[in-house]
Formats: sequence, C-alpha cells, structure tokens
Amino acid sequence: MYLWRTGRGHLGGELDRLRRDMDDAFSAFAGGRKPWMRSPWRETRLFPLLNVRETSDSFTVSSEIPGMRREDLEIKIEGETLSLRGERTPDEVQDEASFHRRERVTGAFQRSLTLPGKVDKDKVTATYRHGVLTVKLTKEKNALPKEVKISSE
Amino acid sequence: MAEDNITASQKDQIPRHAGEPTHEGSYFTPAVDIYETGDEIVLLADMPGVEPGDLDVDLNDDELTIVGRVGAVDDEGVELLSEYRVGSYYRTFRISDAVDRAGIKAVLSDGVLSLALPKAAKAVPRKIPISGG
Repeated sequence: MYLWRTGRGHLGGELDRLRRDMDDAFSAFAGGRKPWMRSPWRETRLFPLLNVRETSDSFTVSSEIPGMRREDLEIKIEGETLSLRGERTPDEVQDEASFHRRERVTGAFQRSLTLPGKVDKDKVTATYRHGVLTVKLTKEKNALPKEVKISSE
Repeated sequence: MAEDNITASQKDQIPRHAGEPTHEGSYFTPAVDIYETGDEIVLLADMPGVEPGDLDVDLNDDELTIVGRVGAVDDEGVELLSEYRVGSYYRTFRISDAVDRAGIKAVLSDGVLSLALPKAAKAVPRKIPISGG
C-alpha cells in the first residue's frame, strides 16, 4: 500500500529517480553538480529524519516536519521507545489548478526510536516551532550518573 | 499495517562554488510545490526552522528569489544520531507569466512559505474595426 503521494505513482517515482540520475550525469559533464555529492541516504523509507542529542540529564529528539497540523502528530513514549506518527496532508487546491512542480511529500508516516537509557515518562515535553518538532525527554532519576564517594578506612 | 511509506529525502545542499550568497553556513534547496489557477500562481516551499523575520522574497524582473536563514541550533550535549543537516534555504525561479507585483502575498507558517502571485490583468483584446470602402 502506497500512502505517500508526490503527485506521481510508484513507477513515476522510479522514473523520476532515473531521470534525476541522468540529469546528474549530464550536469557533471557540464561542470554542474557532481553526482557523488549526493548523500547515500538521500532517499530512504524512513520519515521523518531525526537528530538526537544527549546531555547528562536528557535526550533531545528533533525533526523537520514542516506544515503539520498539531492534531495530526502523535507522540508516544513506551519504556525507552519514542514513537512518532502522523500524516502530512496535501494542501487543498481548487480543482482547476494545474501543478507545475510537486516536490513536497505528503502521506502517513510512523517511526520509532529506542533511546539508550530510561526516561521519565512524566517529564517529556514536545514543541513544534516553525515546522521543527523537538521532543525533550528527561532521564529517569535512577539512570542519572551518581558520584560514588570513596570512604576512608 | 504499512504506514511508514512516506519517502524522506535528504535536503539538496547547494555546493559552495555555485555562486551562492556569501553567508556563513550551508544552504539547501527547499522542496516546492507550484500550481496555477485561473488568476494566480501559488508557490509552497518547505523551509523548516525559518522564522518569519529571517525570510526574504524578492522578485527582480522575472526572477523570483527566496532566501530563508536558519540560525545556530542547540548544540548542547553530544550527538547520538544525525540524519538531517540544518541550514538556510535558497532557490530562484523564473516567472514566465506577467505577475501583479503589488498583489503578491507571502505567508510563512509552520516552516512552509506560501507565496501567492496574482496574474496581471491580461491586456484586453482589441477588436479592429474594418471599414467598408
């Protein structure tokens, strides 16, 4: 079941990729962008892409998901696993509108991420600002590093 | 249930030698949708992280330029996973239709720029009367 839509079908997407590769080859000849400058994971099945940072007492997961309605975004934490789920819906356009370009992806997505440590479920905050989702998870108290004092005999 | 079928694309980075704006940091090409209705051309661009004050939209003759600057991001702690890169956005378009410049509307909301370019009123077709001689 294909839920993502870019204004083309599945095969269309493949052809598009092929065309892009050809374009790359030609532009490389013409002194333009070199194909090897492409990142190897330019297109993946994973959406959204995530950045994760860790501090001594928290994890911060951020993701660029522009144009989302807050109610279409679901964030869940179960144990050490954070799940993101949502749907990016296409903007409504008039029927007579003709598309010249359609590059912005839309569709349903689901992604989960297992964190390398326990977090306090009650201390998870999520903000969505300018199309960037930031989830901040506070580490569980027991998981926090504790200094061990050396006792003198 | 296969719901994770949306495709994530890594943003296209603009190479440094391509004559791009001389600002610090990386520039990416924003993904856009462009559609046309009877009376306007609408351009939607994904520019996550750009605040309304850091966006420039410029129409010079028939060249439309959009620039969105993204400032430094939080770099507290250590990086555990880095799947996407953060940077500014830059893209130019050639507008082939006559556009009513005064009526251009730009809205930036949740990281999506929505630009409405109303078409200029077409010259009224002139009928040339032919006099019989």
